[in-house]
Amino acid sequence: MTLTAPTTELPPAPPQGRGGRPGQLTATRRREALTGYLFTAPTIIGFLVFVLGPLVAAIYLSLTKYNILTAPKFVGIENYVRMFRDERLATTYGNTVLYVGAAVVLINGFALLFAVLINQRLPRALTYVFRSAYFFPYLVALVYVSIIWQALFQKDTGILNYYITALGGERIDWLNSSEFSKVSVIIVDTWRNVGFAMLIFVAALQEVPKDMVEAARMDGANEWQIFRRITVPMISQATFFNITITIIGAFQIYESIIVLTRGGPGDASRSVVMYIAEVAFNKFDMGYASAIAVTLFLIIMLVTLVQFRLRKSWVNNE
Amino acid sequence: MSNTNALSAGGGTARRSRPRPGIGKSISVALLVLGAIGMVAPFLWMFTTSLRDASHAYDLPPQWLPTEWDWTNYTDAVSGPVPILRNMLNSAVIAIAVSIGMIVTAPMAGYAFAKLDFPGRNSIFVALLSSLMVPAQVTIIPLFLLMRAFGLLDNPLSLILPGVTGALGVFLLRQFFLGLPQEIIDAARMDGATAWQTYRLIALPLAKNAVSTLGVITFLGSWNAYFAPSIFLNSTDTATLPLGLVLMLGPYGAGNVAQVMAATTIAIAPALIVFLVAQRWIIASLTQSAVKG
Repeated sequence: MTLTAPTTELPPAPPQGRGGRPGQLTATRRREALTGYLFTAPTIIGFLVFVLGPLVAAIYLSLTKYNILTAPKFVGIENYVRMFRDERLATTYGNTVLYVGAAVVLINGFALLFAVLINQRLPRALTYVFRSAYFFPYLVALVYVSIIWQALFQKDTGILNYYITALGGERIDWLNSSEFSKVSVIIVDTWRNVGFAMLIFVAALQEVPKDMVEAARMDGANEWQIFRRITVPMISQATFFNITITIIGAFQIYESIIVLTRGGPGDASRSVVMYIAEVAFNKFDMGYASAIAVTLFLIIMLVTLVQFRLRKSWVNNE
Repeated sequence: MSNTNALSAGGGTARRSRPRPGIGKSISVALLVLGAIGMVAPFLWMFTTSLRDASHAYDLPPQWLPTEWDWTNYTDAVSGPVPILRNMLNSAVIAIAVSIGMIVTAPMAGYAFAKLDFPGRNSIFVALLSSLMVPAQVTIIPLFLLMRAFGLLDNPLSLILPGVTGALGVFLLRQFFLGLPQEIIDAARMDGATAWQTYRLIALPLAKNAVSTLGVITFLGSWNAYFAPSIFLNSTDTATLPLGLVLMLGPYGAGNVAQVMAATTIAIAPALIVFLVAQRWIIASLTQSAVKG
């Protein structure tokens, strides 16, 4: 990679300067380059030691058998082959994909709905109150909100079931049935993240040119047509960003499940990250856990790269 | 749930609102109010329960507003078997150290990537940005082995060291410095300021808001973190607050719910303070990178 190479090179001398003697200019540019490297050094070192190095190590470990006590033994792609026969992996990946699908649809659906509603001409104070209420859960640790929700979800003492039975419904075993344990995880995930996605949509909606909407209205377009033909295309960037963020976030879902259901009953609500943690840190099967983690990395990389490509080069967007 | 109804009714509003805008608006305000209640209610329940006697914590029908202001659960929570105050201190030390590190390293790097010319600048930046797509779960095993090799497991440094630098902060600050007119930098250099002086005395003060936002975001991210702490820390004395609260809750929510809610209320306080003080900046900086560009 081109990461470390530049640090050892001296900057090429510029062909010509904007004034002054060429030698002096080169010295200035060298100094500037040196400053650049010094300024970025802590970040680059942190990146090499805590991101790139571990990433490479994880890929290497994924090709080994390693139980921490004895040295890693190279086994080629055995760990990857093993995944295909691992039923627990299939279950946990299946659950995770369900969480991802639910997150994409529910978070973005509700977020867009609330964003459109909030974006109307409402009294400023009201807009502020709504924004705050929807956004606040996003600032609170997922662990904390999950702790609150697990109390609300309790079968006999939880207030959710209290209201459900008060309305004539049956008590739901939110946390201990194989279907509803997943539903509970999805509810908490949606509830916590909808506010952030909503803010992204609101910011995008405010960029939609008002005169364009007015012109369409003059031409007799109804609100639905305006929404469908003008708003949706205009906010596509934000939509895409939100979808990417929700996919990546939901693939990594972890602590809410720990608090709500502990992955249970059985593996009914267990996510793939929980499974990785279990294989790595309870069974100390580090090689296999690394292989699963690498598949997760590949998925997230793919999703991100698609986002990068579809968005007009944000790196060089100066 | 009421939310499902909200979704279908919302579609209807959009279609029907034109002939009767007044009604459309009241429907949408009603929906927003309903949603907002759904967002706030769990926190309200948490707070009310934290003020109730433990034996009444699960009384039904639920009470939404505190009827008495009994702080016993708070004193019980902090003096219980899980050292919540200690855990809070651990969280605070880690979060403060990480935030300070980040607001020193990220603006420097962001400035260099935006305003200094050096070979490899763009490729290094792209490589750095690409670390945003490396999930923590992939690096956690090698990091665990690294921390173990250096004897840093069960030590706050295992969370501080990887936290003091990061691509997101560099990205945010680079965006800010790109918007800074080059003339300001050039003028300072003309006047004989060194690169460091130009950065420290001219550029950095102008980035005050961006740096504060970064500090706040970093602090909250660390304060709220669960995954890495749950793997690197394994004793109640080194545990951070989220770990302490999960311990306190116990398996299957068996802990004393009123005390747990009291502790959770304390744990949420920093987020609430940040929210009240800095909500606007955070919203602005989080949303701008998504919408522009």
